[in-house]
Amino acid sequence: MPPLTDEERAVYEWQIWVPGFGETGQQKLRDASVLVSRVGGLGSVVAYELAAAGIGRLVLAHAGNIKPSDLNRQLLMTHAGLGTSRVESAQRRLKELNPRLEILSVAENLSEANAERLVGEVDLVVDCAPLFPERFAMNRQCIEQKKPLVDCAMYDLEGQVTTILPGETPCLACLYPEDPPSWRREFPVFGAVSGTIGCLGAMEAIKVLSGLGEPLAGTLLTYDLRDMTFRRRRLLKLDNCSVCGSTTDSGES
Amino acid sequence: MPRVFIPAPARDLTGGLVELDVEAVSVRRLIESLETRFPGFRDRVLEEGDLKPGLRIAIDGHISAMGLLSRLEPESEVHFLTAVGGG
Repeated sequence: MPPLTDEERAVYEWQIWVPGFGETGQQKLRDASVLVSRVGGLGSVVAYELAAAGIGRLVLAHAGNIKPSDLNRQLLMTHAGLGTSRVESAQRRLKELNPRLEILSVAENLSEANAERLVGEVDLVVDCAPLFPERFAMNRQCIEQKKPLVDCAMYDLEGQVTTILPGETPCLACLYPEDPPSWRREFPVFGAVSGTIGCLGAMEAIKVLSGLGEPLAGTLLTYDLRDMTFRRRRLLKLDNCSVCGSTTDSGES
Repeated sequence: MPRVFIPAPARDLTGGLVELDVEAVSVRRLIESLETRFPGFRDRVLEEGDLKPGLRIAIDGHISAMGLLSRLEPESEVHFLTAVGGG
């Protein structure tokens, strides 16, 4: 890996001090790429934290233009940008923070049609999408391409995050084998809730890419901010999982 | 007595109550007890006699593969995990 530049050392000095991370960890982040699928309430914060941490390349996938109802949580969108492209706003805000960051903006939501291409662009994926067909397409491609997937979700004042390591852990389809018919794209949530889970998801990505700490591999972290309860649950590998059943090297319990 | 945690989408039925103790030896019996106390709860979690798609049961920190048949111990902690997404 090429050494850090003086500018990189200056910008990332405080996190380079983190034991177990150091300049080597920073170099790994700089040389890594991450797909953030949708840059809404969750993905805005994931992308912003990764940009701040010095990730080398981000691929952002999100269709549509900024609406008033985005602004309570989608922190890369602005009032002045109402009616304009979400990914363009996200790209502009991220480049203001980190001009060294390379960004590929895709004004499409992830789908079965583009999942293989988008996942193939990066080293790691962060799932911030609202709908399960998107989430399942991402999960399937990550398993097939053996790319780590950080899965983030929320509702009301609650959040969930887990890290899926193909060949090692259960996958999203092990946890939720079917598209839940009662789930809707629009639901109650505060920006502080999506921001919390976005920070946790970004930290998981940083850990997996740099080798720092222990990611939530095979573990679902859930929280309820009504009473600030955080819980960890072991995920169960489905023997007959249609997605990862034949790729997991070891059984999980 | 097992302690059950009510999922957010069903708390309108419990008047906002988040957790309570319920005498039950299985998840199925637990749901029946909750239905008696909070009419409508069963329909929130069951469909055609089984857990609704997108709903999982966690007992004592582990996602259960047994669903409604999961056995409960007196000190068990039961959570309904609902499939949610981003946005």
